[in-house]
Amino acid sequence: MMMIDTAELTKTYNGRGGCRGITLQVPEGCIFGLLGPNGAGKSTFVKMLAGLHRPDSGRATVLGQPLGRPEARRKLGYLPELFRFQDWLTPAEVLRFHGQLGGLRPQETRAPAFRSRVRDTLELVGLSDAADRRVGGFSKGMQQRLGLAAALLLDPELVILDEPASALDPVGRYEIRSLLKRLRGRGVTIFLNTHLLEDVEELCDEAAFLYGGELLASGPLHKLLSGTGDSEGNGANWRFRLGGWLPETRAELNDALGGALSSLLRLVEADDDGNALLTARVSDREQAGYLCSLFIRSGLTLYESGPEPNSLEAWFLRMAGSRQGGVPQ
Amino acid sequence: MTMYISATFKELTRKRVFLVSLILTFVFLVLFAFGVRELTGMAGQNQVSPAERLMNSLVLMVLGLFFSQFLAAFFVLFSAMGIVTGEQENGLLLAVAARPIPRWKLYLAKWLGHAVWITVYSTALFVSVVWTIHIQAGFPILADEMLRGLGLFLWMPLLLLTITMLGSVYLPMLGNGICSALLYGFALFSGLVEGVSSYGGPHPALEKFFLLTGLLLPTDSVYRRSLFELMGGADWAGMAISDMGPFSITSVPSNTFLLYTVGYAAVLLLLGCRAFSRKDL
Repeated sequence: MMMIDTAELTKTYNGRGGCRGITLQVPEGCIFGLLGPNGAGKSTFVKMLAGLHRPDSGRATVLGQPLGRPEARRKLGYLPELFRFQDWLTPAEVLRFHGQLGGLRPQETRAPAFRSRVRDTLELVGLSDAADRRVGGFSKGMQQRLGLAAALLLDPELVILDEPASALDPVGRYEIRSLLKRLRGRGVTIFLNTHLLEDVEELCDEAAFLYGGELLASGPLHKLLSGTGDSEGNGANWRFRLGGWLPETRAELNDALGGALSSLLRLVEADDDGNALLTARVSDREQAGYLCSLFIRSGLTLYESGPEPNSLEAWFLRMAGSRQGGVPQ
Repeated sequence: MTMYISATFKELTRKRVFLVSLILTFVFLVLFAFGVRELTGMAGQNQVSPAERLMNSLVLMVLGLFFSQFLAAFFVLFSAMGIVTGEQENGLLLAVAARPIPRWKLYLAKWLGHAVWITVYSTALFVSVVWTIHIQAGFPILADEMLRGLGLFLWMPLLLLTITMLGSVYLPMLGNGICSALLYGFALFSGLVEGVSSYGGPHPALEKFFLLTGLLLPTDSVYRRSLFELMGGADWAGMAISDMGPFSITSVPSNTFLLYTVGYAAVLLLLGCRAFSRKDL
């Protein structure tokens, strides 16, 4: 069963921003990462899944239930991005409150079994020592851990986490990553919206990339990253750091390349001192070598040349860059 | 629901404005009791007649309850003006609204939670003022009149709560507070003008204006009916409060109008539930 299944899901704010026509599926038991730069529409999409925003059009199911229905949220744990709990409550009281909101009767939340569950959940997120302190005195990281505890309290089948590690220190982030891996081991599906690429790289089985409100790529992470070429650099993106770059160099290179290769070359950055960084997607190493010789013949200084690192960061930058144009336009 | 009533109480008691309201209310009640004692003492020295003593107690009651309804209204405005957008802005609503509970239930629970504590506060205020005047100025209290008066006195802030909550779905906290206060002030001002205008005889245009104002926000009309009931209805009220300048009650809202206010509150609550259910948080 698909835990999340959306088709052409659209939400805009007076025709601007938001996200448009998002179609993606999240299979059961995986960790799915949602990536994209700021303003890509990730939070809008996540809020629709959590039932906080109403879509303008399209359809979606969460845990097999139509979006927005309370039934869809019964087995869903959600950690919002910018949230707060009542300052005057203790973590145990917050969890009791959320237990009742989740459908437990008041007497059930007073039972020893629930108290034990609260203790276990607080221990899981590393808040056992602060169980009796008021939330008002918590650091942002502790609030984040408590939010995670509230999301995990009722044994959800699907957990949607919106920037779960944004306020955590490196130790906290490591602990959360370990926790998410354990949850996946228990069969919990995790939908992760994050800016931390290393988290996605280490945790996610699948990912999607949003840009400007549109879904640019989606699928198993290894397939998405396979586009960065093999270990020899064949079929990869190559980068060239050059000197002596002038505004007219772009046109000269276009003329020299004259066709197929020119559309592969992209100017990433250039400064007034003539330094430039170019990338090109090449089919093999010989093609990269030809470009190097062409640069030298054109009077440019070649400082550096090689395949881009085979990382999520490179993929992310390329995906974002593909919408910003290159050489030639 | 009980969970939310309890949570709302905890939330209210943590707000600094709640503590300030309670302290100021206490100060008001002490000063009021002191003032009533001084005034009745002066009246005692002048050996007034029982009828005059009764009239004086009626006037004190009008003034006491006028300021009490003012306090109750401000209690409502300060506690409820940010119920939805305020909690949305500070992030409290996000984790709550994602839980498997229909939004309309959340809205009604919040209304109920505030309504319970507004009722407790307003009852304490009403009983304190009435009891003070009864003890010190000899105002006669009949149980059924007092209960009718209390019921309507409580209905006024609940109406204001309903419209303030609806506003909080659409407007930011401060904007909603200002709008609700202006609406309440407008209704109050119309009531005062109506009292003054009664001296010049009937003005059809003005009467229509007052009726429309009452229909728009019926808080002042309900307060006037509350006063009317507390003072023994037509038997006594007409004696004292038809000749009190801005505080005069020239016309008393009918039972039909009271029914209208029930429908008014029900419609506003329904609109609030609907708007909150459709709101993007």
